[in-house]
Amino acid sequence: MSRVLRSFSAELLLVALIVLAAIWSSQLSPYFLDLNNLMNSAAFFVVFGLMAFGLFPVVVQGEIDISLASTLAVASVLFAKLSVAGVPVLVALPVVLAATALLGAVNGVLVAYAGLPSLAVTLGTLGAYRGVAYLLAGDAGVTGLTPEYTFLGLSWVGVVPSTVVLFLIFAVVIGVLMEATRFGRYSYAIGSNPDASRTAAVPVRQTRVIAYAVAGAAAGLAGFVWVNQYQSARGDNADGAILFVLTAVVLGGVSIKGGSGRALGVLLSTLLLATIQTGMKLANVPGTSQTLVIGLLLIASTGGPQLVTLLRSAFGRVRRTSVSTAGG
Amino acid sequence: MTESAFTRRRFIGIAAAAGAAAAAVPLLSACTTTAPGAATAAGSASAGGAKLKVFMAPKFTGLAYFEVARKGGEDAGKELGLDFQYIGSDKAEATEQIATLTNAVAQKPNALVVSAIDGDAVAPALRQARSAGIKVVTYDADAAADARDLFVNQLSYELAAQTMLDAALLNSPEGGLVAFISASPTAPNHTAHVKFMKQNIDTNPKYSKFKYVDTVQFAADDAQKSQDIALNLMQAHPDLKVIISSSAVSAPAAEQAIINAGKGGKVFATGVALPSSVKDFIKSGNSKAFMMWDPAELGYVATVAAAQLAQGKITTDKGTKIDCGKAGTYEVGEAGEVLYNKPLMFTADNIDQYSF
Amino acid sequence: MSEPSVLERLRLSGSGGAALRVRFIGVLAFQVLLIVVFTALNPRFIGWDNAQSILFTAAILAMAAAGQTLVVLTGNLDLSVGSIMGLCAYVVFDVTSQAPWLAGLTVPFAVALGAVLGLANGLLVTYLKIPSMVATLGTLSVYRGLVSFYANAMEVTSGELPQWMRTLATVRWLGLSSYVWIAVLVVVLVGLALSLLPWGRKLYALGSNARAAYYYGLNENGILVGAYVAAGGIAGFVGLLLGAQVGNINSLLASGIEMQVLAAVVIGGVSIWGGSGSVYGAALGAIVLATINNGLVLLGVQEFYRLLIQGLAIVAAVAVDALVQKRVLTATRRRVILEVAA
Repeated sequence: MSRVLRSFSAELLLVALIVLAAIWSSQLSPYFLDLNNLMNSAAFFVVFGLMAFGLFPVVVQGEIDISLASTLAVASVLFAKLSVAGVPVLVALPVVLAATALLGAVNGVLVAYAGLPSLAVTLGTLGAYRGVAYLLAGDAGVTGLTPEYTFLGLSWVGVVPSTVVLFLIFAVVIGVLMEATRFGRYSYAIGSNPDASRTAAVPVRQTRVIAYAVAGAAAGLAGFVWVNQYQSARGDNADGAILFVLTAVVLGGVSIKGGSGRALGVLLSTLLLATIQTGMKLANVPGTSQTLVIGLLLIASTGGPQLVTLLRSAFGRVRRTSVSTAGG
Repeated sequence: MTESAFTRRRFIGIAAAAGAAAAAVPLLSACTTTAPGAATAAGSASAGGAKLKVFMAPKFTGLAYFEVARKGGEDAGKELGLDFQYIGSDKAEATEQIATLTNAVAQKPNALVVSAIDGDAVAPALRQARSAGIKVVTYDADAAADARDLFVNQLSYELAAQTMLDAALLNSPEGGLVAFISASPTAPNHTAHVKFMKQNIDTNPKYSKFKYVDTVQFAADDAQKSQDIALNLMQAHPDLKVIISSSAVSAPAAEQAIINAGKGGKVFATGVALPSSVKDFIKSGNSKAFMMWDPAELGYVATVAAAQLAQGKITTDKGTKIDCGKAGTYEVGEAGEVLYNKPLMFTADNIDQYSF
Repeated sequence: MSEPSVLERLRLSGSGGAALRVRFIGVLAFQVLLIVVFTALNPRFIGWDNAQSILFTAAILAMAAAGQTLVVLTGNLDLSVGSIMGLCAYVVFDVTSQAPWLAGLTVPFAVALGAVLGLANGLLVTYLKIPSMVATLGTLSVYRGLVSFYANAMEVTSGELPQWMRTLATVRWLGLSSYVWIAVLVVVLVGLALSLLPWGRKLYALGSNARAAYYYGLNENGILVGAYVAAGGIAGFVGLLLGAQVGNINSLLASGIEMQVLAAVVIGGVSIWGGSGSVYGAALGAIVLATINNGLVLLGVQEFYRLLIQGLAIVAAVAVDALVQKRVLTATRRRVILEVAA
């Protein structure tokens, strides 16, 4: 039992934090514990959550993709344009998702086959894809979308917004992908030790490209949710969102160095960030403090365990010294 | 990692997938398109007694311009006895404003006063507010027309364009080549200003002394980027006389870049700017004129209009008069647009009168 | 591909490395290509006046990139550079505008403040073992939050700046803006520190192979904290200069500049994996970016294309890096084998 507890310690910590954040939020604002509002707020985080789950396998492999928000913009603009052009959504969806998966795969090929550093590559495509989105969108935003493209944003399953259901399904799919498939096993192996994986006949390159393609498709899906929820698209959609996405992944216990982290952690950290943000926004906390709190949370959650270790060893040394002095 | 760990993982995963699939089927068949709990209207305001709750949401917090408008809103709040709150994120991102508005709706205010960062993307959140009985008034930057009740427009696009050209004429009476710097291609008011300025230069004899550079440059309200662009524009067009920007960040930054390049008094930047940020340029004689409006009064008028709407004192019908006391009376025009239309021209003669 | 040993990497890196020279020439060639293309498309591009302009707009970025290079050489990142710049500029100018007798101390004040913020970054990365990307992503938010808290949506306007700062950007020495000379000074100082001080060599060693550096007895944490403190100090100084150049300062100054700084560093051939690259390359990378911006405005091209072209330039730069490194590694290995055989 204790071993199970220990192996899920990151997740347990997150659950505890979520409970604390929820209590804090309900103290901050009397409106927090309103189911309908919570659900509406949850819908807001779907776009970020989808990208976080797209980024998750890439980070497990020890790589990074900071171009996802730009990929989202390409997708949202494409969806909006196709909608206005009268293309049925069931045709547009696979086409755009394939296109964004391709954008992701381009990153993947540059990283895996050309051996380029992923941060630099995706820094480049971050700009390039954003440029593409602006070029596609033209000078103004795209509006006047047909109802079939905005249906998800205006429908509910019981009290749960459809986009949240979509997110949960996607989260489970990624979870299964990472926990129960060869792709997942390879991903963790590559993240832990790429050289050893290569000698162990793991198809490192293909696995990397697949991860990036999945991330691109996830951003494409996030773009789909964007047009559904916001009924419009512009070249600057989700600009700056990658910081939040990266925070969610890292906070979920996924090591940026690769090789560890679970889907459950990413889900919980998204939930935690959503709880905190919603609570602070409901209490009309000034924007500045919101920025500070998220930044401090990121530092505290990643540095906290090491701080405890450092303190413990410092105190331990003191105690040992005093014991040995007494003994001598 | 042992093979048994894999098997266990796989088992958990497959079970989860099966569970999710099984759960999804009945869920999807239960899919509805009516928002649960959407009908709950905000507390009826005219019932008297309780304070009216009015929230003001700027594009983002931390910008001096919005802070001045906030003061106007707070003044109105004090005079009318409102529960006035200033809300928003310090990040200039549409998603941040959407989150702010979504959570504002949950607090059931009587009215929202909003400067939309992306007028289309925030529209669904504002529509949700309206369907919950909250009155929505936009100021400074409009949202989609069906997502708000009123738009208090500081200056009609046409008047703003002409006032900026007038400021350009004060700087460079002999006319000359003009270049434009906007915030982004997605800022509708900046785009409209440039369009009308080009039109005026083409057709209005008053401004026929000007020519313009067709390509508009974008500086994203960033001071450093505005400066780089200003400098590069001067290199690209040695005969450039005036740089015009609707951004209160870009216009002063561009003027500073001109001065840094030693071309102060020969090339001019003008357009929208807070008087405090251009006082030194005007006093040193490097620049003759910038323009704006009184953001505090704009915030005041928008807040008063929002409160009166919530109280049911006014409607959004065309021709409705809105009495804003000391700030004057305004009339609702086409499509719920209220024109504030009080341009201010800052010159050496009057710059000391303004404290914002 | 096996990892080269520390000694091997040490020989490759530093100012004498063949790879570096090749790479530097590569960026230089790219810069020349840009000049040729832009001149062909618009003859006004070529000329002393425009060159001055480009160098002026590159100055701030080049200095910020010099600071970033110190950190990137160790295989780490400093994403908080823009927030440090903004915080130092706003706080220092606000304080000196209220206490004018402090005007003479602006530079040491800004450098010290930046160094303290850099120290915090360094401690988070070393002692708390937070990966640098995560730690500085956090401090990016925290430092920006602190400055907007401090500023409370107010502005420091140009009239409030100390007199000498207000006019610094207009001063010219030998036909070039003072900013260009200051940037040259900063870049050369950092370059000399890297090549002459033992600390500089250790920085490269740490970035090449941290574990080996540890076994060789290098004080890993001390070196890394030093890199962050130096980078923070430089960022503080650069923030001050940017503030003086811009005139009206609010809490948003330099936000988002980290992407430009990283782009300059990467284009300039500093390996994001650490261990190789030079500060001169990074400065050249800044000039490349400034040239692209300038040329596109001269051609009347829109912003969208700038994003595209800049993005492609970054990818091209790292692709060339990879090629060069592979070549040189093979060559070195061959030489080592020959030496051993002989």
